[in-house]
Amino acid sequence: MSSLVFYLLTVAIFFCIYSIYGWGLNLQFGLTGILNFTYITFVAIGAYFAGVAALQPGNGGIGGQYILGWHLPFPIPPIIGGIAAAILALLVGYVGLKRLRSDYLAIVTVSVGQIVWTLIGNITPLFNGWDGLAGVPQPFNSIFQLDFNHYQWIFLVICILFAVLGFWIIERLTHSPFGRVLRAIREDEDVAAALGKNVFRYKMMAFVIGSIYAGVGGALTIAYIGAFNPSGFTTMETFIIWAAMLVGGSGNNRGMILGAFIVPVLFNEGTRFLPSTPGNPLLAVSIRGMAIGLLLILAARYRPQGILPERKTIFRLDGLQQGGEVGGDRVVPQ
Amino acid sequence: MEWNKRARRESCDVSLLLMGVGFGLITASVLAIASVGLTLQFGVTNFVNFAYGEFLTIGAYLAYFFSAVANLNIWLSMLLAALLTAGISWLINRVVIQPFLKRKAPLLILLVVTIGLSLFLENGVQAIAGPSFQQYVTAPGAIVNIGPMIFTAQQLVIVGIAIVLMTVVHLLLKYTRIGKAMRSMSDDPDLARISGVPIQRVTDLAWLISGFLAGLAGVVLAINVTSFTPALGSQFLFIIFAAVIVGGIGRPYGAMLGALLIGLVTEVSAMYIDSAYKTVVAFAILVIVLLFRPQGIFTSRGRV
Repeated sequence: MSSLVFYLLTVAIFFCIYSIYGWGLNLQFGLTGILNFTYITFVAIGAYFAGVAALQPGNGGIGGQYILGWHLPFPIPPIIGGIAAAILALLVGYVGLKRLRSDYLAIVTVSVGQIVWTLIGNITPLFNGWDGLAGVPQPFNSIFQLDFNHYQWIFLVICILFAVLGFWIIERLTHSPFGRVLRAIREDEDVAAALGKNVFRYKMMAFVIGSIYAGVGGALTIAYIGAFNPSGFTTMETFIIWAAMLVGGSGNNRGMILGAFIVPVLFNEGTRFLPSTPGNPLLAVSIRGMAIGLLLILAARYRPQGILPERKTIFRLDGLQQGGEVGGDRVVPQ
Repeated sequence: MEWNKRARRESCDVSLLLMGVGFGLITASVLAIASVGLTLQFGVTNFVNFAYGEFLTIGAYLAYFFSAVANLNIWLSMLLAALLTAGISWLINRVVIQPFLKRKAPLLILLVVTIGLSLFLENGVQAIAGPSFQQYVTAPGAIVNIGPMIFTAQQLVIVGIAIVLMTVVHLLLKYTRIGKAMRSMSDDPDLARISGVPIQRVTDLAWLISGFLAGLAGVVLAINVTSFTPALGSQFLFIIFAAVIVGGIGRPYGAMLGALLIGLVTEVSAMYIDSAYKTVVAFAILVIVLLFRPQGIFTSRGRV
């Protein structure tokens, strides 16, 4: 297999995974208006729990200190990863979502990100500390017995299946009455509450479901790479997903696919080839971080609705529905 | 005999506690300067600046430039760095934030912009100064013992700076017209506007003061932790948040008390548990306050 095909397969796999990440964040921010500034922490929790669910019991020595070690076959670890992320979201949501302005949750998420990172790094018996997990088995490869190059195809198929299922579910949710309430909350929380909607409950559900997407995406990541450690979940990773959402079109799941292609794939892979300088080994990384930050600001400034904006329903007297990009923020029952 | 031993152990415990209080006073001083800066800006503009941690980082690195490269005295460097950070803060408000406010961008977008700014600034500092640890070339000065508490002369200067600054902020808010204008905007921006408060000038001034305090806090934080990286401010930011929220967000006096509480509790706890978990203690306080008294523990009514 040529290295180009190998490279393209890797890019395609990450494209699927970033789309899954993106849909979860889009449900939280794009649809509901919840600010999760540490989305990657939910990805990490999903990855870690999926990892220890798939690994053999640890030997307690170097590289072998972690909880669980259940050695479960493939479709189960991503489920466990999703559940773990959902539980974290419940806890965070309980502190941050209740009767507070939206900046409080943002503050809580920033803090939770730091805390989880510190705890996982310092408490080695949990997930092997700063060294992280390694040698996580590849899904189904005990049956196929393929080498890493050929196995890529199998994994791509798995990712596509997850992505298609994820897209189907998120689209159903977005266009259901549930999704409509979420949009109403985003536009005006007080109005939604006045109409008898339990705002906290709905926000919590959006937050938890979005985090399940993060957790499952994380589970796929660790299954693919086979390893994960705290350097894999930094603030920058969160904002790559944010930038993808804002560029693609927040509130639009199709736009999110476009964003997942443009930002993480083109942008990240493109800046990978910046020359490294001996004096400053992280110069390329720093420039990438500056670029992501700048992209967030510029996207918010010049096209906050993204390339593919959310299609809003417009009220018409004749009762027909009309979709399209509108300036107003009206949300009306269909 | 047995009694003696216990007494000794108890006196040991007390001195350990007092030692923690000593460290806590220094941390509280650094934290108070930083928290008041954040909360003043919030009070006037009514949104959280997530790039505030980077203002501290910028201050610390500017002072490093003045003291290590230009060979100036550390306190003079600190003053210059704080003034420059104030200018940067003002400029950022004018160039980055104001265009969004003019277009009446929603709060959510504004917060995303400040976090994008934080990513940009932290990586900008890292691109220029490099990711490695830096350290000021200063002598911590003579050791001063007050009971079991140990301070260096430098640390006492930091405590002194904090006390002076807090007094100045108090006088500014209480007795000057600009302070009254700031408090009125914090109370009710619309009422302030129709009463003729010059919104633009007060906002500019709030960002200037906020930047000045942040820059200065960055330098004293860097002195206090001795060696620092471009992540200095972003790692300290949520401890600032904890202090600000404990005191009630947007309330300068609350932030001072919040800083004192968080500073003392984290440092005293570090005497008994691994100091790597200091931040966890601050976080626990933040969570408890948010769950039971989200308006802050030192407040009874609405904001300032």
